Order: sequence, then C-alpha cells, then structure tokens
Amino acid sequence: MSKIREHPPDAKGEMTSPKEGDLKAFTVFTQLQRGDPHIYAGCVDAADAKMALQFAREHYGQDQPCVNIWVVPKQAIAATEYDKDLIWRYTDQTYRLARGYAKGVREKWEKIRAKNDLDDYEKEDLKEMF
Amino acid sequence: MSGSSNVGMHIDHNVQEDPEKLAEFEAKIDAGQLIEPDDWLPQAYRTGMLKMAEHHANSEIIGALPEGEWITRAPSLRRKLALTAKVQDEVGHGQMLYRVSQDLGKTRDQMLRDLITGVTKYHNVFNYPAPTWGDIAMIQWLIDGAAIMNQKSLADGAYGPYVRTMKRINMEEAFHFKCGEDMVLTLMSGTAQQRVLGQDAFDRWWYPSLMFFGPPDKPNCRNLPPMRWRMKTVTNDDLRQRFINRFVPAAKDLGLKIHVVKKSDDGMVIEKQLDPNLHYDESTENWTVTDPDWEEFYRVIRGGGPCNKQRLGLRRFSYEQGRWVRIAIMNGRAGLPPAA
Repeated sequence: MSKIREHPPDAKGEMTSPKEGDLKAFTVFTQLQRGDPHIYAGCVDAADAKMALQFAREHYGQDQPCVNIWVVPKQAIAATEYDKDLIWRYTDQTYRLARGYAKGVREKWEKIRAKNDLDDYEKEDLKEMF
Repeated sequence: MSGSSNVGMHIDHNVQEDPEKLAEFEAKIDAGQLIEPDDWLPQAYRTGMLKMAEHHANSEIIGALPEGEWITRAPSLRRKLALTAKVQDEVGHGQMLYRVSQDLGKTRDQMLRDLITGVTKYHNVFNYPAPTWGDIAMIQWLIDGAAIMNQKSLADGAYGPYVRTMKRINMEEAFHFKCGEDMVLTLMSGTAQQRVLGQDAFDRWWYPSLMFFGPPDKPNCRNLPPMRWRMKTVTNDDLRQRFINRFVPAAKDLGLKIHVVKKSDDGMVIEKQLDPNLHYDESTENWTVTDPDWEEFYRVIRGGGPCNKQRLGLRRFSYEQGRWVRIAIMNGRAGLPPAA
C-alpha cells in the first residue's frame, strides 16, 4: 500500500458541498518519489480541493506508491489544440540536437585519431547524454 | 504545493537558526533527499541558493550576447540555424533559472534591474571579446564543455528545482558542445588559414576556460555551507583538473598548441609562448598547465575586463527597449531603473 494512504489527513473540520449542480472535476498529478516530476494520473470529481485530495488518495494512491499529490481544477488548465497548434515542426531539426552532430564529429575525429583511441575517447566523453 | 509567491527578501545575517530544524534539514541532505522551496530552509541556504541561481540566470542571458552578434555572419545556413537555436536555448535557460530564483524570494524585475545596474554579477567569461568565427567555435567547445562539467556536478546537488533545471539544461548543452566540437574539428582539419583562425581563438579562450570554474579552492571549502549543504558537489580545482585532463589531449590531437599569453586591454593576444609547464604526471594521471593569472580574474570581476561595458550596455538597451512589452503584459506596472 502506498505510504500516502497509511497516513490519512485529520478528518476534522468542515467539508463543503456544492450549493447546486454537480461536483467539480479536478485533474490529479502524482509524484512517485521525492524530487521527481508530478505526472498526470487521472481525474476526480469533488466539491473542493480538500475533497479532491482525499479522493485522489483513494483512487491514485493505492495502485502504486506515491509520496505527493497535486489536484488542479480541470477548468484552470489551458491546453493547445491538436490540429490547430503545430508544436513540433516537420522540417529537419537535427541541427539543434547533439545527435545531429555525432556522425560528422566521429568521421572528422577518425581522420585525426586512430580508431581504438577514438573508442576510448568516446567512452569517456559525455556520451550518456546523446 | 510547490511555488511560493514573490515575497520581499528580508535577510538577517545574524539570525540564529532553530538548532532542531537545522539538524533535521542537514539530515535530509545527508540522506540524499532533495530540498524543495516550501521546506524549512536556513536563511543562509535560501540566500546562497538565490545568489547562485540568480548569477547563473544572469550568465545565461548575458552569455547569449557575444554569440548573438555572430548569427548574421555565420558561414553557412546550417551553422546559422544551429547558432540561432543555441542562443534561443541560452535565453530559455535564463528564463528557467529566473523562475527558480523567484521561488527563493526575489522578483524577476528586481533581478533584471540589479543586473543592468551592476548590483549583481554574471559570469566573468562573458567579458571577453569574440572577434572571429573561430571564437564562436572555441566558445561552444571549451566554454560549453566546461559548463557541462560544472552543471553535471550541480545536477547532483540537493536543491530540487535547481537540480531538475540543471538536468534539462544539460541535455541542451550537449547539443551546444557537440556542435562546437564539430566546428572546431572543421576548422582544424581545414586550410592553413582556418587552422590559424582556430589557434588564435584557442589562445584567447584557453585561460578564460580555466578561470570558468572560479578561483582556487579555499583550504576548508569542503566544510563550508556551499558544499556541506550540497549547493555545490565538486570543488573548483577538481573540476578545473577534470577539464584540463579532458581538453589537453584533445587539443594536442587537433594540432592546437597550448600557449601562455599576454593580452591587451581589449582582450587580444599580444605575446605568447608555448606553455613551459605543460606535462603529464604519470603518478597522478593528471595534466599540469600554467595557472591562470588570478589578478586578471579579479580585475575583470570588478569591471575591468575588455567587454564589461559593452555587454551591460547592450543588456540595458534591450531592457529599456522592452519597456512597452512589460507595460503591456504587466498592466502598466513597469518602470525603468535609475540611470547608471
């Protein structure tokens, strides 16, 4: 069981309920470990943030251990539209990525260094990031 | 929830921290836990992290200036696209780091004003000129190489928002470095004229790169707050040695000579000789080179570098030109800083 469910919050105090209509939708983000980014987990319906957090603990805190939960009113989230907003362009973008240079750099080094030297060099280089 | 509001900074340097809370905080750091902005922080940690993140942010946006000047003069379309992307990345890094700084308690506008009025500093290395395309290649190879080494060590730190930002930044820096390596390789395997251009630029940037890691270590630096609290994880001298060990052999392979240089006030090399102290120590497996001129380092920090006035002048010009934008988005609340 997730630690977040082992320690339920103090249940005292007022809990609001909507005067009319339905509950509000809250989007839930969970964090699996301290320091990690919060990741989209799903959605709950609740009267307020406090209730949403309580529901989120139950729904999303039980399948996998998580250490922290955010709830955000769904209405407060602004988003792009799939067909209207082009975020990633379709032209060649390799000039702005390290891997766009890897082959050329290797070929140029090859003209300068012996091959085994080059393998050693690349091993110690910042390779894990490319 | 994360994300503190912009509260004014009230720093009491004589503040006595609650010993219990301080012990709890230090235990968290020793256990390798990340510290978050809404956690309890010792005042000295908050001010120290703010100073570090703000200085880093300032450096990112000032650092874009010498390279930005070369976008219109890039030698090919692909190099122009790459340089534009790099400058865009650097300014983006500035944005991310100002955001981290804001959560530590200082407003963005105050930080931008403090930068152009000289209250806060930016990295010394950007006070040197970039007179040729060779300088752009060397900056991207040496300075971005040094920056990755430094930032990889900072990504092992303890302050969550800063650590996460470093990881993101390092991915982009890998592109800058690889692109710089490609440019240096192109120059050094080119015509005699290109190789001279490369060597001259290398001579201008070798010492600023060694100074990049900051002044020599204080004897007790490992016990002082920046390292005890994992704001930094590797000492300046250790990082500098890693850099030397990585770049001296590469420079030799490329046919670059390591020179001790004397520079004019405008940062151009007027005298040079082969580094008499360059040698490899088999026992320590370290390369040794002649130390940087630390008097020059402090003189440039105090404003006496070749380009201090030019860089700040351009930043100030751009801040003033952007006034209408701030007025438009901040609903009329943007003013101008007092004249310098």
